[in-house]
Amino acid sequence: MNMEPEPSSAELTKDDPSSSRIVHRLAVLSVCLVWPLIWVGGLVTTYDAGMAVPDWPNTYGYNLFLYPYKTWLLGPFDLFIEHGHRLLGAVVGFVAIGLAVAAYLKETRRWVFWFAVAVLLAVIFQGALGGIRVVQMSRTLAMVHGCFGPAFFAACVALAVVTSRSWRDSCPADRGQSAITELAQVPRSTVILGLVLVALGYTQLVLGAQLRHVQPTMRPDGFATIVVFHVVTAFVLWSVTAVGYWRMRKLKSCCGDLTLWRPAAALIGLVLLQIVLGTGTWVANYGWPTFLQGFPGATGFLIRAKGFWDSIVVTAHVATGSLILAVSTMIWVRSWRLRYCSQSASEVANET
Amino acid sequence: MRPVILLCLLLAIGCDAAIDQFPANDVYALTLAHSRDVRTELAQRDVAEVIRSLFGTPESPVWPSEIFDGEAKSLVKSESLTAAAGPIFSDREGNNFGLFNKHCVACHGVSGSGAGPAAVFQNPYPRDFQAGVFKWKSTERSAKPTRDDLVGLLHRGVKGTGMPSFALVSEADVSALTDYLVYLSVRGEAERKLLAFAIDELGYDDSEDDSSEFLIEDADVHQIVGEIVESWLDASKRGVPVPKEVASNTDSIARGKDLFHGQIANCVGCHGPGGNGAAVTLDFDDWAKEYSSRIGLTPTNRDAMKPFRQAGALRPRQIKPRQLNQGVLRGAGDGKAIYRQISQGIAGTPMPSLTITKQESATGLTSDQVWDLVHYVQSLGSQPGDTLP
Repeated sequence: MNMEPEPSSAELTKDDPSSSRIVHRLAVLSVCLVWPLIWVGGLVTTYDAGMAVPDWPNTYGYNLFLYPYKTWLLGPFDLFIEHGHRLLGAVVGFVAIGLAVAAYLKETRRWVFWFAVAVLLAVIFQGALGGIRVVQMSRTLAMVHGCFGPAFFAACVALAVVTSRSWRDSCPADRGQSAITELAQVPRSTVILGLVLVALGYTQLVLGAQLRHVQPTMRPDGFATIVVFHVVTAFVLWSVTAVGYWRMRKLKSCCGDLTLWRPAAALIGLVLLQIVLGTGTWVANYGWPTFLQGFPGATGFLIRAKGFWDSIVVTAHVATGSLILAVSTMIWVRSWRLRYCSQSASEVANET
Repeated sequence: MRPVILLCLLLAIGCDAAIDQFPANDVYALTLAHSRDVRTELAQRDVAEVIRSLFGTPESPVWPSEIFDGEAKSLVKSESLTAAAGPIFSDREGNNFGLFNKHCVACHGVSGSGAGPAAVFQNPYPRDFQAGVFKWKSTERSAKPTRDDLVGLLHRGVKGTGMPSFALVSEADVSALTDYLVYLSVRGEAERKLLAFAIDELGYDDSEDDSSEFLIEDADVHQIVGEIVESWLDASKRGVPVPKEVASNTDSIARGKDLFHGQIANCVGCHGPGGNGAAVTLDFDDWAKEYSSRIGLTPTNRDAMKPFRQAGALRPRQIKPRQLNQGVLRGAGDGKAIYRQISQGIAGTPMPSLTITKQESATGLTSDQVWDLVHYVQSLGSQPGDTLP
């Protein structure tokens, strides 16, 4: 075990094995797997297929990995997506184990190792939540499971960011260099803005989950209140992304830093897409709202229960919500890092 | 912080508890209390017990076949109730359960009151099955729909509303949902009629607050529930026959246009010139009128409606006549269905019925004239730009 104290800045160079590629690659792999996992999990909820397999951790008495593949692939669609969701979740679990092991063996930063362990524990917790939801037949636990998934996704993204080469390269001061003029000076407000984006993005996910996993006994007024909050927060979030883009643009123009500007620009588009998908989700579930009845085709629009494209729109809304949270997390973590680096560089400059 | 999170989690899990009984129809109880100027708590308590013992709970619904004879025993199949009620799950063979919770409850509510969580933003509101009144059917205005009417409605959906088409859902599931819909309607109507009977006939309005005397007799219950079930069984005998269609041509459409804007049918009075929906109307459907204008309250008076809203009623919303020139007709939408809607009106709405006469007269329309109207209405949809008479 190379669990040593945090290496001094002089010890870290670009060629240093501590900027372990394997840890970063596994973190990126987990990000690439978790988003499809969220898609499949979203489809499971859209089709109300969460209880297509009544037992857990087994599948109809079979070990998860030994369930006959023909029965899985050729069986009912609900069973297909629920068992598929479990299998993909297991793959993510294995990757998280590999990530923790790789971090243990290769990563010199102790906190990154513990971060990888936290990610592993989170995926175990998420799997258990999904399992208990099945055993208890609980819609509320399904909602908690649905809310925790995006948080886990955001954690994987954060891990990928902190293990990336750009994370190391962004801090010349760590390597004893004082290239102050190349560094973007990130004010505290920008970091806070990133945090606000994360908070708003997650609030939206929780509000959306309340609507998606609505309890049959909820009063209409309660449901309506959540809808109103969900819609208003969407536009607040969109406004904040615009402010964020403007702030990151200043970093770009002053210092040529694109690591924040690009995701900030993408975030504006993602939230706009999400608003469109949210409208589509409402239309797919409840038809065109009264104030949009003037929209062409609205008066003759027919909702189709179990319609394929309808379910894709609804699930895309869920998956895009997670993506917004992930990009917001990336912006927040990177902005925090840049601020830290610029401050460190200033200190190095002052010392010299 | 940790206790707060734990509390939230516990509260959330608590919300997920099994629904052990149907919500009481507090809106109708309040309507009775207001219209009779009596208290209804005791009657509600005893009626709830009777209804629960007869019809079970949302998790374990029961069709009380033991109190019926003949066809009534199988009006609702117990296996359909098993498939439609309770939590959502499916088995290895792909059989689905909890169908009502899966497809319907968010709008129609647990008891089929039409006041489900997502009801408030929908226009029109989801149907309240408990009154036993249905719009889209092939039967007389006051009759129940046939089973085929309900299955057809589920297959078609209702365009421009929150009611989906279940064309992609399996026949078995649609059949189970249809049975459960009938079950909810019979159960809800029985609850309403028993409550009114208890207050009007059994002296519950005079009972002391702490009275424990149970006044409802089995014989009365069986008779009331039996009559409701009989009305469902009679539906197929009360179908509206549709006479032979006259030729659909420009002459028929022109005659229909005159009738549409004429004094006898006076469709223009509500649907506007050329069915453009421009007429000013200030009416409500029967579901809203029941707890407002019919008991002397103004539907738009928020203070007057507040107790009913608190009891679970939706805010009364004006009903708008169909804008026929958009070409979107609810119901089956074919010629026969439009004929029935013109001749019978639409139950639960201000759309009136017509008197069908053998000869042309000043008081009604002949069947040929109704067909002319049908052709004109159909022509409106195909000429969206032609809105003027």
